[in-house]
Amino acid sequence: MRYALQRILQFLIVFFLVTFGVMVLLRVGLDKPGDPARTMLGGAPSQQQIDDTTARYHLDSNYFVQYWYWLTAMLQGDFGFSVQNSLPVRTLIENRIMTTVLLGVYAVTFGLLIAVPVAVYQAYRRDRAFDKVSSGMSFLVVSVPEIVIAVFLSFLFVVTLGWFPRIGEKVYPWDDPVEHFRNFFLPSLVLVLPLAAVTARILRADMSLTLQSDFVSLARAKGMSPRRILWRHALPNSLFSLLTVIGFQLGAIIGGAVVAEAYFDLDGMGSLLVVAAFGSDLFTVQAIVALLVITVVFANLIIDLLYSVIDPRIRVARSLA
Amino acid sequence: MSIETFNVTPTDTVEARAVVERATGSATPRPRRRPSAGAMLGMAWLLVLFFLAVFADQLSFIYGYEQTVQVNGEAANRYALGPGWTAWFGTDGLGKDVFAKCIYGARTSLFVGVVATLIGLLVGGLIGIVAGYRRGATDRVAGIVTDALLSIPAIVLAIVIVTKLSTLREDQRWLDWLDRRWQITLTLGILAIAPLARIVRAQTLSLREREFVLAARSLGARTGRILWREILPNLVPTMLTVAFTGLGILIAAEGALAFLGLSVETPTPTWGKLIDLNRDRIDDGWWATVFPCLMLFMTVLSFNLIGDWFARRFDIREATI
Repeated sequence: MRYALQRILQFLIVFFLVTFGVMVLLRVGLDKPGDPARTMLGGAPSQQQIDDTTARYHLDSNYFVQYWYWLTAMLQGDFGFSVQNSLPVRTLIENRIMTTVLLGVYAVTFGLLIAVPVAVYQAYRRDRAFDKVSSGMSFLVVSVPEIVIAVFLSFLFVVTLGWFPRIGEKVYPWDDPVEHFRNFFLPSLVLVLPLAAVTARILRADMSLTLQSDFVSLARAKGMSPRRILWRHALPNSLFSLLTVIGFQLGAIIGGAVVAEAYFDLDGMGSLLVVAAFGSDLFTVQAIVALLVITVVFANLIIDLLYSVIDPRIRVARSLA
Repeated sequence: MSIETFNVTPTDTVEARAVVERATGSATPRPRRRPSAGAMLGMAWLLVLFFLAVFADQLSFIYGYEQTVQVNGEAANRYALGPGWTAWFGTDGLGKDVFAKCIYGARTSLFVGVVATLIGLLVGGLIGIVAGYRRGATDRVAGIVTDALLSIPAIVLAIVIVTKLSTLREDQRWLDWLDRRWQITLTLGILAIAPLARIVRAQTLSLREREFVLAARSLGARTGRILWREILPNLVPTMLTVAFTGLGILIAAEGALAFLGLSVETPTPTWGKLIDLNRDRIDDGWWATVFPCLMLFMTVLSFNLIGDWFARRFDIREATI
């Protein structure tokens, strides 16, 4: 319990530090009065507009005061206003968040669905043909940048085979599952492949190690079926690094989503961020970064707490600490 | 391949693999001094690429990147030439030589990759070694800062920092030297700091408990000397390994940024920009997209292969001490 509280405290510190840091970073160099408002408005705004925006978002107060206003508004669900889109940032994000969430969910689900069986079999039949070929392949895939995967997939499936549309349209599965599949398959695959390769490599290493341990030999000696040994005994004991890596890779998945959305013209958080950052749309950038940081850090927090669910030894060690 | 991959490779995976291999004795127990075939190929590719990139202006068989390819005395049209003798990689949408653009693109990629890695090694290494050696409050502060940096998806942070740097440059006189190439280099350098600091810190933590450090301390060596003469030399293998893997990662990231529109000023070509500019016309001239992709892939793969070889080699050296 004490451990959980410590971790939650750490979560809060990182969140405050990052959001405050990004806010300050975005405002560096905008020292003259009215500068932040001018940047946010874009174009050539009138003095009246500048004064209004400055007053409305307290852009003339010091960073701590501004941060306080931003944070309290954020906690009440008000993410500020994107002047350039003349829409509240919240609406902008609401329109797009589902795309990125779906991509991320597909990436993790299918990445693991591929990686886990492959890695288990690799470890079980170490150094045999399948292990060698698939290990080589995962090393190759880890070395392919996301854009190259995107080009390769679209060249194969869009240009040559013509199975999927060139430009992704935002169709949700609950509206039209078939169209959704057609539009989301390739962008998801861009994320799935590297994730599957990275996780398979990690799990294979851990799993091979577990299969050397005495309890596995014992299980084998008393005649337990290999399937049961692998899935019920060895796999749960090999998940530690895998979980950690998924936590780390979450940022990579989001980064991959930015590229995949840009490549397949899907309207998601990634494309929103790129446009907002180019246009110095301060509140939009701040809100997106805050949401992403919450996602990443929160997921890592959950994973960290999961360790003690999976492994009683960690639970004991933590309760003693 | 993304910056997040820094956090798992090579230390975690390599250590796990090394333990397995030592336990099973199945893979290469003998010290392997000579590079693996893959690493040799990687080095060969990188040497050729470096050579061509550096001497591109002097070599007569490389066109200028702004020079239109001539066919029978006439300027080539859009995508007029496929790969062949006149233009090795074909011509692009402007009738320019894709091979020449790929070579000049290598300049940007290699420069950005190498300098950003050096920034990361220098700053991240310093933070890591000091935090790991001094522990206590220093370590905690460094830990929070690296945690915060790592919690933002790398591409997202890169987008925010590069766009910020370029708007800053517009109205700050003293930043005139900071052209796009330096903006990207600096950004990727900043991104490399946190993962490197983490790896170096972990390594330093275990090194500081070793007998030779104790011996140096009991002989009255100052902290600076212990860090510089005792700990740093032992960090070199890890740092080298991470540097090579990191180079691949950063070059991939540079490609992704260029693809998203954050690249060096026109007309200087980069691989990411070539991919972005030509991908919509992939059915007219696949070569203009596919060859830059191949260059990117081969280069990242080469760095990974070399990094992988270093990892194996140094790991074995460490085990034999």
